[in-house]
Amino acid sequence: MNIRSVISGMLAFGLIGVPTTFAQDNRNLLTSKESLYNNIYVYEDPPYVSMTFGHNRRIYTESIYNTHDDRDLPVDYTRFMTASLMYAKDIHSILEIGFGGGRTSWYLHRFLPNVPVTSVELDPTVLELAKKYFGIKEEPNFQVVNRDGRLFLSESKERYDIIMIDAYRGPFVPFHLLTKEFYQIVKDHLADGGVVAQNVEPSTMLFDSAVKTINAVFPQLDFYKAGGNIVTVAYDGAERKAEDLAGVAGERDKAYALRYHLADMLSERRRIQIDGGQVIDPNAKVLTDDFAPVETLKNIERHNRKLP
Amino acid sequence: MTTSSRVLAFTIYLCAFIVGGVLMGFEMLGSRYLFPYFGGGIGTWASLISTVLCALAIGYFVGSAIVAQYPTQRTIAVAILIAAAYLAFVPATADDVMEHILGSVGDGASATLIASTALLLVPLTLLGTFSPIAVSLLTHSAAQAGRVAGLVYGVSTIGNVFGTLLTTFTLIPAIGSRNITYIFALTLAACAVLLFLAPAKRPS
Repeated sequence: MNIRSVISGMLAFGLIGVPTTFAQDNRNLLTSKESLYNNIYVYEDPPYVSMTFGHNRRIYTESIYNTHDDRDLPVDYTRFMTASLMYAKDIHSILEIGFGGGRTSWYLHRFLPNVPVTSVELDPTVLELAKKYFGIKEEPNFQVVNRDGRLFLSESKERYDIIMIDAYRGPFVPFHLLTKEFYQIVKDHLADGGVVAQNVEPSTMLFDSAVKTINAVFPQLDFYKAGGNIVTVAYDGAERKAEDLAGVAGERDKAYALRYHLADMLSERRRIQIDGGQVIDPNAKVLTDDFAPVETLKNIERHNRKLP
Repeated sequence: MTTSSRVLAFTIYLCAFIVGGVLMGFEMLGSRYLFPYFGGGIGTWASLISTVLCALAIGYFVGSAIVAQYPTQRTIAVAILIAAAYLAFVPATADDVMEHILGSVGDGASATLIASTALLLVPLTLLGTFSPIAVSLLTHSAAQAGRVAGLVYGVSTIGNVFGTLLTTFTLIPAIGSRNITYIFALTLAACAVLLFLAPAKRPS
């Protein structure tokens, strides 16, 4: 998991306006570990524990955990990842790619204890720290797999009703998890009526290409503004009408006694004209295994294009 | 130094630079071919790097073994031309090969090594034969050997740096990795032609 918006991370700690150096002194470094992929730091600021990556520790907060309440989702976008619950036809199995501190998948596990939740994480050290500091344990119906997300899906014969994608390495999404071929593999592993939720950071040109790429495989794309991030929900078939979604949301809010009501999330739902050139840059290209300059796109700022 | 030996020397140094560039450029491209199948982990990079170094070692050994029998620029031109042909086949076949390896060997360290071997070993071994033969072609007396070897490796290493940076920061963001592979194949073929056309070294 990765919280691209520094703001939401700061909000969670109540640190807005506090100089960085001072802010760091306020938090207690529980541990730091060099993994195969990152330098990982775990901070404590009771009741919260956070996991951050990289040398610039303030920037890439991966996960925030409320030690007093394991069903709390302090970070905006993690709540909106669960909006996928009101889209899926059935909810018999859930997959997450990019575990991090595991908040979203653990929340789903706690509220839907009868639904198998599987999460795939590349970095074994992230898993180790999540188990040690983020209250994660393997239980019936909750499984964490240490593997590259695309590799896991390619070899899996399972189909899932919901697939959540939130794989970042520091500021970047690995290119092979953001191509048309990848989304085709994802689609092949969706059950009938299944949906894909993804956390996308909207401030750079990578957003435009990511949206076009997802749209090249999934005809329908709903957007949820979630703090500084945007959660996209992608699905096949015809556009889901707001009133139908509201119906399902109401039912499932009740059935699972969800803390973050799906019905409330609906007000943040947006549809955009992807090919109109108004919101998404008409020159943005669909990313493929052959052509996916994710690092370069990431460095180009978007200009004056906002979701309605 | 006669004019024709100057032309030969210039051609060889130019090719040392270009071959060095393509060599590292293709290693960077290797990641684009392998990541979708074997993941973007540090293991994939380790496989790529060790395969490249193995290929170079084999290439140096082979080059030093054959240089006494075939001490002409035609030898390296042929090696470069075969490498170019190999690269030209990569874009159309790589996906099938990767899938086959993934299906039969799995995705562990050995599979990643086999995949990077399939992709890189043959062309880079052929390119590795370049330096020892080039040194021999440029050396006219034992006293020159050290100076020439230093120059050839220096020029080729600058080519390595150039190829790495150009591929990563200019080519990959601008065109697809399959097309870059074709460009590399054409570039190598052009080098081979230059070497074929260069005047032969006269026995000293």
